[in-house]
Amino acid sequence: MRVVLERSNLLKSLNHVHRVVERRNTIPILSNVLLSAEGANLSLKATDLDLEVTETIPAMVERAGSTTVPAHLLYDIVRKLPDGSEVMLKLDEDGNAMTVMAGRSSFRLQCLPQSDFPQLSAGTFTHIFRIEAPAIKGLIDKTQFAISTEETRYYLNGIFLHTHGDEDLKLRAVATDGHRLARSETAAPSGSEGMPGIIVPRKTVSELQKLLDDPETTVTVELSDTKIRFTIGPVVLTSKLIDGTFPDYQRVIPTGNDRRLLIDRQSFASAVDRVSTISSERGRAVKLSITSGQVTLAVNNPDSGSATEELAADYDSDPIEIGFNARYLLDVAAQLSGGDARFMLADAGSPTLIHDASDEDTLYVLMPMRV
Amino acid sequence: MMDNRAIRAVEAVGETRVEEAPVRKIIHVDMDAFYASVEQRDNPELRGKPVAVGGSAARGVVAAASYEARVFGVRSALPSVTARRLCPDLVFVKPRFEVYRSVSNQIHEIFAEHTDLIEPLSLDEAYLDVTVNKKNIAVATEIAKVIRARIKEATGLNASAGISYCKFLAKIASDLNKPNGQAVITPRSGADFVASLPIKKFHGIGPATAAKMQRLGIETGADLRERPLTFLQQNFGKAGNWYYRIARGIDERAVQPDRQRKSIGAEDTFSADIFDLALARQELVPLADKVWRHSETKQLRGRTVTLKVKYADFQQITRSRTLPDCVGGANDLTDLAGSMLAALFPVTKGIRLLGVTLSSLEGVEEEKTQQQLALF
Repeated sequence: MRVVLERSNLLKSLNHVHRVVERRNTIPILSNVLLSAEGANLSLKATDLDLEVTETIPAMVERAGSTTVPAHLLYDIVRKLPDGSEVMLKLDEDGNAMTVMAGRSSFRLQCLPQSDFPQLSAGTFTHIFRIEAPAIKGLIDKTQFAISTEETRYYLNGIFLHTHGDEDLKLRAVATDGHRLARSETAAPSGSEGMPGIIVPRKTVSELQKLLDDPETTVTVELSDTKIRFTIGPVVLTSKLIDGTFPDYQRVIPTGNDRRLLIDRQSFASAVDRVSTISSERGRAVKLSITSGQVTLAVNNPDSGSATEELAADYDSDPIEIGFNARYLLDVAAQLSGGDARFMLADAGSPTLIHDASDEDTLYVLMPMRV
Repeated sequence: MMDNRAIRAVEAVGETRVEEAPVRKIIHVDMDAFYASVEQRDNPELRGKPVAVGGSAARGVVAAASYEARVFGVRSALPSVTARRLCPDLVFVKPRFEVYRSVSNQIHEIFAEHTDLIEPLSLDEAYLDVTVNKKNIAVATEIAKVIRARIKEATGLNASAGISYCKFLAKIASDLNKPNGQAVITPRSGADFVASLPIKKFHGIGPATAAKMQRLGIETGADLRERPLTFLQQNFGKAGNWYYRIARGIDERAVQPDRQRKSIGAEDTFSADIFDLALARQELVPLADKVWRHSETKQLRGRTVTLKVKYADFQQITRSRTLPDCVGGANDLTDLAGSMLAALFPVTKGIRLLGVTLSSLEGVEEEKTQQQLALF
């Protein structure tokens, strides 16, 4: 293999693929990126056995061929090469080492045979649809924060993607960690009808998100009940899905909450942030005392002291006191983009519904803390 | 002895060190054949018979043996099969830990009549520091007598006691006139007593160290005392300092009343080695239940779950995981241990023992004041 290409192209692509490679690996080949030069392209592939990313970039191929080299090492080298330089990748005759050359720099990297590189068999995809990057990015951005990191409930370690509705079919993303839930939806793209409900793993979601920066891009999504593939321009992301049953989330979304609180999102977030300063500990509760036209936030930390702040709000139901994890409130506030946040409350022990007043496609459910 | 700020002379070293430290009065109370005695107390048919508390199953282990059984060589930690061979008439009784625990609490209350400096070592053993005591009894021997009489009165059980100026010798002393007796090792006689003691009786010297010491020609406390500090440090590292001091009857470890429980665990050895994940998972259920029940009674919650696995070849490994919040219940505990267990499969050798431990403990009260409610 002998190939010449622009450093910027190679760097951009390595930036995409090297993240998939785990820092610590017990299987050496999984630390490597597979490089294949053919025609007028160089393709790069990396995998962690659950997620595989392939990117194809233009290159001057002087001799076709392929090999694998340590991914993070190659990325670090290319990152440090001078801007605007051309890079040559040249595999030794015996295939044991690859030389990376740019200007007066030269590196020799040990290779592992490309035949050892694992292939993630995609199987047959049953559904295919195309969706605008901003639409799918919106689904991810608004729900990702609620994905559970608790491995026991592995079926919550991803975003539940499925279609919902009859006439007006929606593509829905739901994530929850058992304490809070985020649900966002967008018009279901043609081809998604009848797709199975699938759980896309956290790592896949976050890698995909990083590939969706260009609003002009359209993403091709292919899926079965075990695999999903996203094609974004030259990048192909193939991932296993989480094999589990997502809980019946609809039953925890309250429908009868009739106490309506409307509050300026920005001042609410700032106030929560301020009063929670007093609670150094993780997951401390903020108590909301809501009376007509006013919310009082209070944090009490037996070790250090207490804090309160009053906020004007639009509220005319019976007074209520309810506690929430300060971090959860801040997380939700960070998701909302509109001016007002709308809380629909029942009582201090039941789920509370939170909406962005300007985005009816997304809702958040927050379970209170007992205070 | 009347004056707490007495002068302590360490004669055995051939030097006279004068210290301003008060001579402490420490009592080690040890119940006689505790579990077995409780069983004999509650079931007259067992009295006078060799009794072993523990499982009689293939891989059961004796937890406690009555004095009648000890005559045959039956002792705690002995495999039940071996015990049965030594004493064919041995009566096996299932342990009733709730009962032992409540008796243990009764005893603890008796201790507390004299001092708050109580360091329980297990359900049936504790150190008491009675240097200053609530009833102002000057002689520790008297206190020990009173305590033993009160224990007998309240529980019907016999206790032995050792009285000395440090924990190490108090513990040794409680064994001297067992059962139902007590002994004193005075500061004056401490060093001489230590000299005559076989080294394997020393606190902190287990079988491995004892064997090493024997190779070095150290058989007794006297042999140990002859060795210079540098020699002991070279051969035993940091522990050498401890051996040097203890050979001279010096043990300044305090009686620690607030020794907090660090973990709650349960384990089980199986009658047949397990190769199958589903079977192994099933075995976790009673273990997690037991740990959970225990944590409930102790009013404790934990964030760290540790799985212990011992393979057929006795290789032992542990896996643990710490959560951001306390484990919520026995089922969560089972699930967590189960997920760590699943990661070990397929196994190439059978699993002989499984253990589940909960640590990073905190009191339920602290947790309860602010509790995150769950959606699912």
